[in-house]
Amino acid sequence: MIRYGVDVGSTTAKIVSLTPELRYRIRETREWETLLEGIPSHEIASTGYFRHKIPHRVAATEITTAIYGVREYISDPEVIVDIGGQDTKVIDVQRNNFIVNDKCSAGTGAFLEFIAHHFGLRVTDLSEIHEKATRTIKINHTCSVFALSEVVSHLVDGCRVEDLIASIHQAFAERIAQMIPDDAGEIVLIGGTAQNRGIIRALEEILGERIYTPPNPQIINALGALRYGEEREEW
Amino acid sequence: MKTVGITALVPPELVFACGFKPFDLNNIVPTSDVRPRNKLCAWTAIWREEIMNGKLDLDSLVVVAGGDCHNALVDGERAAEKIPAFYLFYPFDGDKDYLKSQFERLSSFLGGIIDPEMMKTVKNVKKELIKLDQMRVRGMVSSELGFQYLISGSDLQGDPTAFREELSRIPQEKGDRSSMHRVALLGVPPIHHDFHREAEKLGLHIAFDEMPFEFIRHTGASLNELARDYADYTFARELKYRFNFLEEELKRRRVDAIIHCTQFACHHTLEDGMLREYLQYPTLTVHSDLPGPVPEQLKLRLEAFSEILWRRR
Ligand code: SF4
Repeated sequence: MIRYGVDVGSTTAKIVSLTPELRYRIRETREWETLLEGIPSHEIASTGYFRHKIPHRVAATEITTAIYGVREYISDPEVIVDIGGQDTKVIDVQRNNFIVNDKCSAGTGAFLEFIAHHFGLRVTDLSEIHEKATRTIKINHTCSVFALSEVVSHLVDGCRVEDLIASIHQAFAERIAQMIPDDAGEIVLIGGTAQNRGIIRALEEILGERIYTPPNPQIINALGALRYGEEREEW
Repeated sequence: MKTVGITALVPPELVFACGFKPFDLNNIVPTSDVRPRNKLCAWTAIWREEIMNGKLDLDSLVVVAGGDCHNALVDGERAAEKIPAFYLFYPFDGDKDYLKSQFERLSSFLGGIIDPEMMKTVKNVKKELIKLDQMRVRGMVSSELGFQYLISGSDLQGDPTAFREELSRIPQEKGDRSSMHRVALLGVPPIHHDFHREAEKLGLHIAFDEMPFEFIRHTGASLNELARDYADYTFARELKYRFNFLEEELKRRRVDAIIHCTQFACHHTLEDGMLREYLQYPTLTVHSDLPGPVPEQLKLRLEAFSEILWRRR
């Protein structure tokens, strides 16, 4: 019987169970084995980049598990945006369609990590710093490396770090918005980046729509794997 | 026998009748590790590079320029510095007389028709390929095995008799494909040599390969017949004409979904939006660049697409 959903992605590994209430643990990807100690493979539904590598009874892609996971909180999502460590997926649930951006790091979690690292910050601090911004500046480059040099030149011109972080969030959100269908109604954001309020606000402004984020957005795929696994067992 | 390198749809009937052996240059690309410096589309750049470096034993070159691809025309013009080249232009409006005049010019380029009977020989081989295609539609042949022979419909591997014999030896493969999703592969053939195998592993049975079907469905035993038939080459016609044709073909083959294969720097990428609007099927768009085995990112997309199709059932 499936009891655990496990999502091992490019940067973090998550395990979720619902017995009876939601429990989860998160580790760095290289430590994923520690999460599975003592758990038999026939109790695991896996997802994420390593879904076929880890022991499992059922495996599914993050596209499918995102839909199952989000449905735990929002019954009828139209579009799910999953900003992962190394790619971003936009799933048009209504049209059974999806786009994956995995060719370019701008618009993925890696870009935010890159920026945070440059300023000597943790990626989890970015949202709070954004709150202190008083203005945003247009970042023209879409490539991460060139965007960073642009940011550095603004610093030289005397721009505040807070304003630059907000500007980076704005540029990031513009990239993501391009992947979202024009007529999207209920948009749900998942993945670790969904905890960044600055990005959510920028996206809402660009799209003119409210963005929903489920609680614990970083474990939605693991939760979805669990639900999908349970359903597959009934087939 | 002299060998002529061809790109896309050049009637093998005519090439053999002129005493030449056709060699489809695109067939070397999916397994090639050549990485050309100056490139747009990898298909044309790789065969251009191989010709420029004298790696292929060719006597001449026929490039389908009109109605197929401007990249091929330009890379063909570069390759023409090494070997004599002819540029074939298909009519946009399906004008048969115009196409006949193009075929007449092509046969003069190849020295004229010396063995007209070869047209019938090729026509008969294509009948066998149509049967193979039907077997694959019915799931009696795997996606991969079917594709491997259908894609050779462009040049019959240089020898119609030997190729026909090989076709007669194709075994019907065991394995139940009835529970798989039936998928049409539209656009350019995938540049990844193991695409069909990987797709089938993920529950996607390719029941239609658009380009190879163009290779095998046009034929004729005389210049007139060839011009009449090949004027329907859908890639050369306006998009609506092609989409109407596809609509019927997809219905006939009872496909569940479309995989639209596009290529970096290719006009097929631009067609994606219109294709999706016109053909109302669940559609996965694949955008490739360099050849090689199916990359992990693409496997993820194929697997997710297969799961989406399951959920729709
Ligand atoms: S893939 Fe496109 S650009 Fe490349 S040869 Fe074919 S038609 Fe031309």
